[in-house]
Amino acid sequence: MSLEEPEPSTQLDVGVSEDGLNYDQLEALLGDSVIGRESHVNAEGFVIRPDDVQDVLSTLKTEAGFDFCSCVTAQEYQDRYESIYHLKKYDDPTQEVSVVVPSPRDDPHNQTAQPVYETAAWHEREAYDLVGIDYDEHPDLRRILLPETWQGHPLSMDYNQDKPQIVPLREHANPLQDDMQSPDDPDTMFVNIGPHHPATHGVLHVKTTLDGEQIADIEPDIGYLHRCEEQMCQQGTYRHQIMPYPDRWDYVSAGILNEWAYARAAEDLADIDVPEYAQIIRTMSAELCRIASHALAMGTFALDVFGDFTATFQYAFRDREVVQNILEDLTGQRLMFNYLRLGGVAWDLPEPREEFFAKIRDFLDELPGKLEEYHDLVTGNEIFQMRCVDTGVLPAEDVKDFGATGPVARGSGVDYDLRRDDPYGYYDELDWDVVTEDGCDNFSRVLVRLREIEESAKIIEQCVDLLEEWPEDDREIQANVPRTLRPDPDTEIYRAVEGAKGELGIYIRSDGTDKPARFKIRSPCFSNLHTLATMSEGEYIPDMIASLGSLDIVLGEVDR
Amino acid sequence: MQSETPLPDTLANLLGLDPSNPLVLFVMAIVASGVIASGLLALVAVSGIWGKRKITAAFTDRVAVNRHGPAGILIIPADALRLLSKELIIPEGVDRPAWDLGPLIMVFSALAGFAVIPMGNGVQIADPETGLAYVFAMASVASIGLVMAGYSSNNKYSFLGGLRAVAQNLAYEIPLILTGMSVVLFAGTLRMSGIVTAQSATLFSLGPVAIPSWYAFVNPFAFVLFMVANLAEVGRNPFDIPEAPTEIVAGWQTEYSSVYFVLAYLSEFIHIFLGGAIIATIFLGGPAGPVLPGIVWFLIKIVGVYLFTQWARSAIPRVRIDQLIEIGWKGMLVLSFVNLLLTAVIVGVIA
Repeated sequence: MSLEEPEPSTQLDVGVSEDGLNYDQLEALLGDSVIGRESHVNAEGFVIRPDDVQDVLSTLKTEAGFDFCSCVTAQEYQDRYESIYHLKKYDDPTQEVSVVVPSPRDDPHNQTAQPVYETAAWHEREAYDLVGIDYDEHPDLRRILLPETWQGHPLSMDYNQDKPQIVPLREHANPLQDDMQSPDDPDTMFVNIGPHHPATHGVLHVKTTLDGEQIADIEPDIGYLHRCEEQMCQQGTYRHQIMPYPDRWDYVSAGILNEWAYARAAEDLADIDVPEYAQIIRTMSAELCRIASHALAMGTFALDVFGDFTATFQYAFRDREVVQNILEDLTGQRLMFNYLRLGGVAWDLPEPREEFFAKIRDFLDELPGKLEEYHDLVTGNEIFQMRCVDTGVLPAEDVKDFGATGPVARGSGVDYDLRRDDPYGYYDELDWDVVTEDGCDNFSRVLVRLREIEESAKIIEQCVDLLEEWPEDDREIQANVPRTLRPDPDTEIYRAVEGAKGELGIYIRSDGTDKPARFKIRSPCFSNLHTLATMSEGEYIPDMIASLGSLDIVLGEVDR
Repeated sequence: MQSETPLPDTLANLLGLDPSNPLVLFVMAIVASGVIASGLLALVAVSGIWGKRKITAAFTDRVAVNRHGPAGILIIPADALRLLSKELIIPEGVDRPAWDLGPLIMVFSALAGFAVIPMGNGVQIADPETGLAYVFAMASVASIGLVMAGYSSNNKYSFLGGLRAVAQNLAYEIPLILTGMSVVLFAGTLRMSGIVTAQSATLFSLGPVAIPSWYAFVNPFAFVLFMVANLAEVGRNPFDIPEAPTEIVAGWQTEYSSVYFVLAYLSEFIHIFLGGAIIATIFLGGPAGPVLPGIVWFLIKIVGVYLFTQWARSAIPRVRIDQLIEIGWKGMLVLSFVNLLLTAVIVGVIA
């Protein structure tokens, strides 16, 4: 049953009470480390000293059970830099706490959180890259999104956008040129897999050191599709100008899921209630997007394991096309939907409604047969099982350490789904299940996606039932929202939804104007991709490619 | 049905020349080879450029080419022109003679294999006593071309592809030939026409229909073994590991463009047809078949094998290189030895 409360863990429950977290007890646990308190909309924030980061975080992790570092937000104020660690629990993501680490403006640096949460390694690299905070003792503090030669930190206040990026010729040499074999180990060979490669699912560059056919060392190099999405959102007004951007993060088909992430954060920030009818439409369209996205994930994974242009890939595209058509009827667009609005949706279901419902029902009726076909063709195939079972193994501990979410986490038996654990929309009124598999391998991740398509179909069916019977005079699609939205100054919120790939979170800080002062995107693909190295070291190249496919990354969302 | 005289002799007789004159025979052999090679290339053009797309499209629920001519058939000249007019890019640092020779060796070794195949209606260039050994040898020469292409391309993906090709061919050549040997044990000859003749006897009769003693019926186990080994030999799913587009870009052919790419691509198809021709000859009675002329039956059989490879290509996942080596050395090799031994015992007992 989906609505069961997840059991709170028995030992690590400092501050857990009936009516939410008791932050005073948590503060007592941390003792003198806390030098201040902040109140964010989603959780309380403890302000700590920059050299206390590891102590505080490991106390929270080992004694209070905050095993999930969802996001690290860095930003610059007039008087200080600040890193915020957004912590959650995999058992119950509604128990949140923020750890706020201020550091001086003239020499911004604080301790790294990497030894406590591995996922912080990449988040802190991004913070260093874009905002310019140094993290002491970080094992590998390099730029992650921008080129190594970039000068300045684009999200810091004194960054001059007009300054040309002049790079000396010696540093401007072909970045892929440096592919000599390692002098310490002449038996290995360095190969650049990507950024132009048939199986990297976009412009991903994987620096690979091979020992024969096996992978000795691997390092994903991202940022080729970095489009300053965070900064663009900071330059748009809340009400209308930000909503088109989320469609362009996970651009393959998950548009409405992404839009919902922004809608949820902004609505909670500005205290907007969404009418029930609109919530049902949102839920239905979001799940349609999830089906489209999972169908694509399955098809491209088949591409990686079967070879180019095989039956599975084309079947997946054929079936995704049906969903795409339904979404086009609803939103007027195939991929860049721009359908959600703060406080509701853009417009009601298309007329004639019966025809639209019939179309969805036809799709749902055909779906079980199609899934059966996929199971015959893909998961039931012995060679496929030979290739995917026990390859790309990602144990549950690693999932938590790397902050992986979505089907990747659920394929490793981590029962975590925000739709159930931190309900939003209409999910808690509907009957559906969270799918998990215990295999921790490529095969489990494929199975999870295929089974999630069934669950999404269940949700859509219930939504269609509700929408069909909804009284005509009560079809309220939009709450009353001021024309210009100006949330109170210095309100901060971090809110996440279950995107197609996992937890898609948005951090917004308002400064009293109609545009956010800081807009931070927590991309599920970013954290999921971080696990690639642990999954593939020692494996064969084909398994690395398969693991990459099973992570189902979209570079638009990784790089933002 | 099977003509006793090879094609060059027939041609010489037709022109009223004396076939016992070596010069005449030499010229006629060249003419005959030209005719057969042109026929094969035409077959490749139809099946490789147009047929493959239509077949794959049918498997994957698409339409494929349909703009030029009836059912898009005119895409063949259009594509030929397109491919030949592309720029030939020669990457820096390629090992020139080897890099140029690779694709040529692949194409010509496969074409040369057809010299001894009896295609029915007297279409056979030569019929030496060692026919089957020759055809296997020619089919294997292509591996040298693959290694040359992979090694000389100065590209790591090509290099990996070339190495994979060698490993794969070693693992599959032996079971392939051992299985072929079991047929030789039955037929008692390596001569291709002899093998075909040996299959013309009636195995048993189903009422009025006489089932011939094709070795696919006599020894289905060997037939299946040979079909699988042949998939690996021609590098089609589940064994398209030397190319493996999603893993190592295009393997040994990564750096080839324009005409060289055409040659590489051609050689793949001719290899598939050569594999089909070997299967048709030693397992499916060569050109034998009712009503239609022999050469038509022969073509039907090769195209049948080709369709099988395309089916596998569309529906079966690719195995990993280490799994392939294991299947080859631990599975196929053992099975083909068992097959050879059993055949020897059976043939010995019957004789």
